[in-house]
Amino acid sequence: MKPATTTNSGRPRRLLAAIRRKPWFAIKSGGTASWVIRLLVAAAVVYVVVWVPTRGSGSLIDTCTLALGLMAAAMSLNLLLGYTGQISLGHSAFFGIGVYTTGIFVTRWGWSPLQTMPVAFVVAFVVGALVSLPALRIKGVYLALVTLALGLVFPQMMKWKKLAWLTGGTNGLDQTGYKFDKDNRTYEIFGWNPWGNLRGENSKPFYFWVGVGIVVVVYLICRGIVKSRMGRALVAIRDNSTAASVMGINLALTKGVVFGLSAAMCALPGCLSTMASGTVTADTEMITVAASITFLVIMVVGGAGSLWGPIIGAAVFKFVEEKTGGWTEAEKIPGVIRPLLSWSDVAPGQGIFAIALIGLMFLAPTGIVGLWKQTIARFVAVVPKPAGTGTLAAMDSVATDS
Amino acid sequence: MDLFLQRLFDGLSEGSVFALIALGLVIIYRGTGHLNFAQGEMALFCAYCVYQFGEWGVPIGLAVFLGMGVGFVLGAITEVALVRPIAKKSPFAVFIVTIGLFQLLNWLDAAIWGGQNRPNTALGDTQRIYPSIFPKNDDDNWPIFGADVKVFNILVFVLVLVITAVLFLVFNHTKLGLAMRAVASNPESSKLVGIRTSTVLMVSWGMAAAIGALGGVVFAGYVGAVNTGLMFTVFIYGSAAATLGGFDSPGGAVIGGLSLGVIQTMVAGYADQWVGDTMKVAVAFVVIVGVLLVKPSGLFGTSKVERV
Repeated sequence: MKPATTTNSGRPRRLLAAIRRKPWFAIKSGGTASWVIRLLVAAAVVYVVVWVPTRGSGSLIDTCTLALGLMAAAMSLNLLLGYTGQISLGHSAFFGIGVYTTGIFVTRWGWSPLQTMPVAFVVAFVVGALVSLPALRIKGVYLALVTLALGLVFPQMMKWKKLAWLTGGTNGLDQTGYKFDKDNRTYEIFGWNPWGNLRGENSKPFYFWVGVGIVVVVYLICRGIVKSRMGRALVAIRDNSTAASVMGINLALTKGVVFGLSAAMCALPGCLSTMASGTVTADTEMITVAASITFLVIMVVGGAGSLWGPIIGAAVFKFVEEKTGGWTEAEKIPGVIRPLLSWSDVAPGQGIFAIALIGLMFLAPTGIVGLWKQTIARFVAVVPKPAGTGTLAAMDSVATDS
Repeated sequence: MDLFLQRLFDGLSEGSVFALIALGLVIIYRGTGHLNFAQGEMALFCAYCVYQFGEWGVPIGLAVFLGMGVGFVLGAITEVALVRPIAKKSPFAVFIVTIGLFQLLNWLDAAIWGGQNRPNTALGDTQRIYPSIFPKNDDDNWPIFGADVKVFNILVFVLVLVITAVLFLVFNHTKLGLAMRAVASNPESSKLVGIRTSTVLMVSWGMAAAIGALGGVVFAGYVGAVNTGLMFTVFIYGSAAATLGGFDSPGGAVIGGLSLGVIQTMVAGYADQWVGDTMKVAVAFVVIVGVLLVKPSGLFGTSKVERV
């Protein structure tokens, strides 16, 4: 997506531009102020992440675990769509691969749920790489529809009677999570329990921490790719694939690896959902096409093509859904907007989010993160490091000398 | 042979609905190059409207035309208010906007008419069953080569053929059709020769939504009720049909839709032991992916020349 170009017609626009040209503060990237801000943000994130499982209520922890899953799934889609420009509406199928791999290995072969995650990663990587084969020839709308087909076929295939010996058919699988009780305290370290209240049947904090782990891993993979040579290759493919291939980027290999990685990362939250819910059925909303659309919407609302976008998008999405979930009766709607919404007894979350999505496309096609960057740039200017002082300076000088 | 003919017409009538949705998609894609993800939900909204008109006592024949009118207005407004301002930014943004519209309409349907099947006598509806434009009783059969084929199936198939013929005439023998083809092939030049491209695009979106609305009404009549999840699968099949036929060929969309319906019904009917009802989806999509791998622009689509 290209950023909207502002036209300089009319006086108010010019005034706005004048304000924009002179931010109030300037911060040097890598300077003291910038590090203080970074540390403050990091501290706030750590505080929230520690607060939720230790002090939060059970339902809050559940909600946050679901949000973490959505974050990881949207980030994986972001790598493929936001950075590489390959549209996929089949990510629910990759999510489903995670769901079913964990379910099958735990129930059929008695694996421990956490051990199945590497397996799911590999299986989804292979499937994703296979999907990239048609993506070499098919582009745009056609690719969207082929991946949509994948998302549609996957749950049907899991229900297929010929595979019922493995997947449980329409009945699905049962008892796919950990069994925590007073005798099973596997996840205590020398009597100290870092996961929150795990003793007894309360295993919710544990799954929350698994979710945090998945999000961190997926974030690090995405960051590593985006900030590397490969990341630049991805953006080149997105902006002009023909030109990219002319410049020596191996389209087949790059697309294959990105599709594979994206699929593999999307499978991890699938494993988590199997563990946390304890059951697997093909009718779960998270493995139908509707979930693919949810991932896409979260990614776009948060900010496509930015590392933090999907994380913020998923948090906002889950927040809106939770807040408006109870608005089925007029009394529960806050007074200010009650006249707007009280005529219906259906929770307005989906409608609000849809309007927000359409509105964002008009205001800021780069999502909440883009909107934030636009706004903050009016007040604070970030002065980038002068060329040649970064960590790569030594390598750069070698390259220019030779 | 009897069974074969019955299945053939079952498939054709099912495929006819896919073809109507696909036609809408193709008309929009030819005009502006966008995939309208909300096509199915627009049709669903119109189907709900037709049900509502029926509640108010409007006869079905008139209600269908009113529903198509609602569809036309909905499509035209979408083009003017949502698609046109944002198309300048990027085509991907338009795709996202249609997804937003998809969710908005879906929520709106649920908010207005509730999540259950309508008409629903338990909710005070006067109609017992969704009004069908064609007779749909068990004993309404016509003999074709000795087989009893349902009248509904035959008439739906005929309806699609008629619509296709009308569209063919509009595209090839009217000024509007000429303008639409001109805009599809080269928007800038057609503007230069005095075609009002914005009006043409508005009309294309309206036409597409109206045709989709007809598909929605036919399908709701076939099922006998309308609910919020009715059109999503149909939309996916419709888009698959458009993909199969080639996204810029109306004839291809019809052939794609019909063959998709027939393939599905035949496979589900004859290979029941192996495929069953759940996997017939997969068979249809395997066919499509196979076709796309050999011919990436679909059976009747024109392939694009890439320029750097």
